Amino acid sequence: MGKTSYVRLKGSRQFRQRLLLATLSSTPILVEDIRSDDTSPGLRPHEVSLLRLIEKVSDDCTVEINETGTKLRYKPGVLTGGKYLVHDCGLTRSIGYFLEPLILLGLFGKKPLSIRLKGITNDSKDPSVDTFRTTTLHMLKRFGVPLEGLELKIESRGAPPLGGGEVVLGVPIVPNSLTAAHWVDEGMVKSIRGVTFSTRVSPQIANRMIYAARGVFNRFIPDVHIFTDHRSGPAGGRSPGYGLSLVAETTSGCLISTDVAVSYPKADETDVMEDSEEKPEMLPPEDVGVQAASMLLGEIEQGGVVDSTHQGLLFILCALCPPDVSKVRVGKLTPYGIETLRNIRDFLGVKFVIKPDPTTNTVILNCVGCGMKNLSRKIA
Amino acid sequence: LAKTVSRQNGNLMQLVYGPSVIASTTTSQEAHDSSESDDSDEDFFMPKGERTKQLNENLDVDNIDMEDISKFNNIQLKDWSDEDLVKSIRDRFVTGDWSRAAQRG
Repeated sequence: MGKTSYVRLKGSRQFRQRLLLATLSSTPILVEDIRSDDTSPGLRPHEVSLLRLIEKVSDDCTVEINETGTKLRYKPGVLTGGKYLVHDCGLTRSIGYFLEPLILLGLFGKKPLSIRLKGITNDSKDPSVDTFRTTTLHMLKRFGVPLEGLELKIESRGAPPLGGGEVVLGVPIVPNSLTAAHWVDEGMVKSIRGVTFSTRVSPQIANRMIYAARGVFNRFIPDVHIFTDHRSGPAGGRSPGYGLSLVAETTSGCLISTDVAVSYPKADETDVMEDSEEKPEMLPPEDVGVQAASMLLGEIEQGGVVDSTHQGLLFILCALCPPDVSKVRVGKLTPYGIETLRNIRDFLGVKFVIKPDPTTNTVILNCVGCGMKNLSRKIA
Repeated sequence: LAKTVSRQNGNLMQLVYGPSVIASTTTSQEAHDSSESDDSDEDFFMPKGERTKQLNENLDVDNIDMEDISKFNNIQLKDWSDEDLVKSIRDRFVTGDWSRAAQRG
């Protein structure tokens, strides 16, 4: 092997985005000092799992990790996609953690991707699979992704700590490239939809959450429908948990989402297992409902075309467009969104023009895409 | 951080891409031999003080091992039964005043 020039990075922050952007831009990266000062240094199980997942959907990529796991060398290969893939996401992070980079990788593959992911479907750290299905996938539409084959089926659910959920993700490939989006009209909220999930708990809990959430929305809008998705038996996974995912749809077709999930904490985080007599209390269903509803109103107040959680994905999509101008409106920039903008500049060389809009307290971002083409497909 | 962003009107560009920021994202592209011996040697013989100084610099800017979470969690929940708050987002709904909402955009 001759000389390869690696982009050198430090630390484990933004791990997914760095891998994603490195893969899409075919930039080899060398990440050092991954939690080198931590008491348990090195890569976490979910990060290793993500690397394995990337190996699964691509051809000829190389991953080298040093003994302690504090150093990673990654050389991207060609994204292939493929059908009937299976990946166990483990139990340290939920499936949502993996879905975010995976859909983008799938879009630029050689063949459409269809993959079965096993693990935790709903937890409090990552966007739930419900949010993904109702909101994230619809965002791709704006950028010219074909709708056929774009789907997420929730076959069974799994709450932390033991998981047991399974979803099947289908992602089509983009034939050539994305299309730039002019997306600044956030519209007015016309309806609120939602879905609850409950596994291994009383089905009545779902109704209690819905009742509480509806109470908050009553003063704003009558068109509120929240569905219940109660799973029992094997489809309910291995741990009890419940939660609520809400989506506000606006007159211009924007989707603003939030979700809340509660479950018993992981065994390694507390010493629950040892004194099993007193289990920690879960947040009551009423509070979950009110919390989700209040968060949604907070997101609506922001006035962006997407919610805070989806800012990062939105920026990446804009940057991957052909060299046309994309214009989007978001609420307050989130720390994650800002990190994303920096990563995009470093990997794709795309710099956004960021202008605040004082009359609406929103932020308008302009960029010229990097002209990302689906190269894997061309070779085929 | 998100809070401060909303208040600053002029220098969002600087906040995201600003000069202090460029120094913090340590992405220096370097050609690398497959052996890579030079680099590890340097690392080995770095004076003690210098290394801790580097660490401190990194910690100052941001935690390099920050957890990778895209979900925006640190919203302080507001009490939406409050009348003033309700009014403030009234026109974001189709049940509100359409002409006022049109002025917004």
